[in-house]
Amino acid sequence: MAASSNTGGGRTAPSPEGRFARALRLNGPGYLFLLPWLIGFFGLTLGPTLASLYLSFTDYDLLTSPRWTGLENYEYAFFHDRRLGNAMSVTFTYVLWSVPLKLTVALLLAMVLDRSVRGVAFYRATFYLPSLLGASVAIAVLWRQLFGADGLINQILFMVSGFKGPAWITHPDYALSTLIVLAIWQFGSPMIIFLAGLRQIPQDLYEASSMDGASGWRQFWKITLPLLAPVIFFNLVLQTIEGFKAFTQAYIVSGGLGGPVDSTLFYSLYLYIEAFANFRMGYASALAWILLVIIAIFTAIAFGTSKYWVYYEDESR
Amino acid sequence: MSFKMNRRQFGGMMGSAAALSTLASVGAFAQGGAVRLIWWGNPERDKRTLAVVDAFAAAGNGEVIPETYAWGDYWQKLATMAAGGSLPDVLQMDYRYIFEWARRGQLEALDGYFGNEIDVSDYDPNQLQGGVVDGKTYGISLGANSMTHVYNKTVLDSIGYQLPDSTKWTTEDFVNIGKELKGQLPEGMAFTENMGSQEPRLQTWVRSRGKDLYSAEGELAFDVQDVIDYFEYWKMMQDEGLTQPADVQAQDSGKMEERMHVIGKSLVGFIHSNQLVGNQQLMKDEVELVMIPNAGDKPGQYMKPSMFFSMSANAADKAAAAKFISYFVSDPDANDILLIERGVTADASIRERITPGLTPTEQKIISYLNMVNTWVGALPPPPPANAGEIDRALRPAWEAVAFGQTSPKDGATAWYDDAARILKR
Repeated sequence: MAASSNTGGGRTAPSPEGRFARALRLNGPGYLFLLPWLIGFFGLTLGPTLASLYLSFTDYDLLTSPRWTGLENYEYAFFHDRRLGNAMSVTFTYVLWSVPLKLTVALLLAMVLDRSVRGVAFYRATFYLPSLLGASVAIAVLWRQLFGADGLINQILFMVSGFKGPAWITHPDYALSTLIVLAIWQFGSPMIIFLAGLRQIPQDLYEASSMDGASGWRQFWKITLPLLAPVIFFNLVLQTIEGFKAFTQAYIVSGGLGGPVDSTLFYSLYLYIEAFANFRMGYASALAWILLVIIAIFTAIAFGTSKYWVYYEDESR
Repeated sequence: MSFKMNRRQFGGMMGSAAALSTLASVGAFAQGGAVRLIWWGNPERDKRTLAVVDAFAAAGNGEVIPETYAWGDYWQKLATMAAGGSLPDVLQMDYRYIFEWARRGQLEALDGYFGNEIDVSDYDPNQLQGGVVDGKTYGISLGANSMTHVYNKTVLDSIGYQLPDSTKWTTEDFVNIGKELKGQLPEGMAFTENMGSQEPRLQTWVRSRGKDLYSAEGELAFDVQDVIDYFEYWKMMQDEGLTQPADVQAQDSGKMEERMHVIGKSLVGFIHSNQLVGNQQLMKDEVELVMIPNAGDKPGQYMKPSMFFSMSANAADKAAAAKFISYFVSDPDANDILLIERGVTADASIRERITPGLTPTEQKIISYLNMVNTWVGALPPPPPANAGEIDRALRPAWEAVAFGQTSPKDGATAWYDDAARILKR
């Protein structure tokens, strides 16, 4: 091969083609095994993502080909779309309430379930169950029934207090709160992660501190919380992203309308309506990219502040 | 090249190549003479349509691959298919969308098939006209239809109340009847469903005043004052206790099984006449059709084609697709199965043939349309492209009024401005 002639006697560097062929021969089977993932990633994730970036600069109704409109979609979203402003405020309200409350409930239950009580595995599974079902359509439908005007919640309320409750799910003052309660109820997956985190905390820290006379409350603030901080941080980021993406519950519970009076019009539901009811694929793509940036900003804030409150055992300060 | 491959690698390559080629052929499986058919519907309509598909194949006409969705999902699915170039050959179309789809080049003009593959010789020309866009026929009407009020006859009979002649009653009469009946209705039942958020009801309101929702040029053809009056009327009905409170009414998300009159929370409701069959199936009490009271001296209602069958412009086998459309609309065997579930057929000979065998509920639709026929106005021009969005925006606008967040005047003005803005977008 020509390439080998210019190496003056030392080690033989393989030619570019040779190296490539060699690499392929060595790693070919590996890539073959990766192929399903590679096809999935490039074909089903990266491709559509890039396509949506392009579409966000166009006017596209699915029936006719996309027409380039430059920044028009973004300009409309930032300066003219009043419904988007409302969708933002609904989504922020939802995230700001549901995430901290859900994490609190998850942490409390994880601490309860961390003890070695008889049948604790059964309780753990039971408490996790709502999360398996929670995002499903069936539960959203059930929620609609439970919190309806003649639903179970109102029947119990009436029996207990004689007070005739409103249709919680279809009253603009309560509809969003009902969805927040539904979100909190799905505390299962952060709870499991908290449980794993609690197991990592060395027991001798608790033993030593109780010998020094620390109360349970003090142990919680001085040992549990600081050592759990990385796990809390992880759950916070994950749940915040989940919160911004919330869709199924609002879609099913409001019948796909985001009502009443747009009070449950989540960002992703509005995006969906623009795309698949109003057929503005271009504008919906722009909305999707704006949401991506919003989520990225919140995640960045979480990471930026983490050095002030997240303590990793292996780091020295 | 010094690229060598051992047997095992070669086998792996072959395997994945074979897998890839299978993937590539998935999109093409539907070809080969079979006609792909898609419609929106309900369980009853699906049952009848599938039976016709079977009958078509049993008569040796070829295979039809059916697909069905609910109304809401249907248009998303259809638009996605159109974007992907995989539109089924025969599509069910609605008057609201047929112009848009025809003008965007998605539909095949059917005039060339008339007298050849498609037999519409007995069809009412007025009904055929409903599927004409810019001089060409893009859809064949599957039946005539009109909007209607429906009331619980069992309840009203038990009270012993006689409604006046509904061809002449006004919106004021409607309020007075409601007030008379108040207190006599069963516990938990209000006089009427609140129709403040229903765009077709608003349309009959403005038409009875000699206007319409949209002009032929696709602009708003009514005034803001009409909407203010409309909102004030329904707010008054709610405040008088003639409808359910706003939060109860809001539980109706548009599905038939959630409608106030279906679940026994109102005496009167608003439907389209062909929905009576599905409506009656959900209720133990007997329901009856009456005309919609008018807010002016012009006819508010009109007869419209309930739905169409259209052909995709890219249909693989256009002759076969046309043959199936013809079988569906004019074959006696097919219509013995379909009856009038999609509306009263415009084919005179078929109508004569099937009418005697209809159920009492279906007979009601026929006699209702016969009554309405002399009291209706002309078919309005097709709605503009964004009319669906304006329709959907009416609901939150009305709800803001119903829940007392804004006055009827402000709510109506906001929606009117919104509608004008949506049309320009």
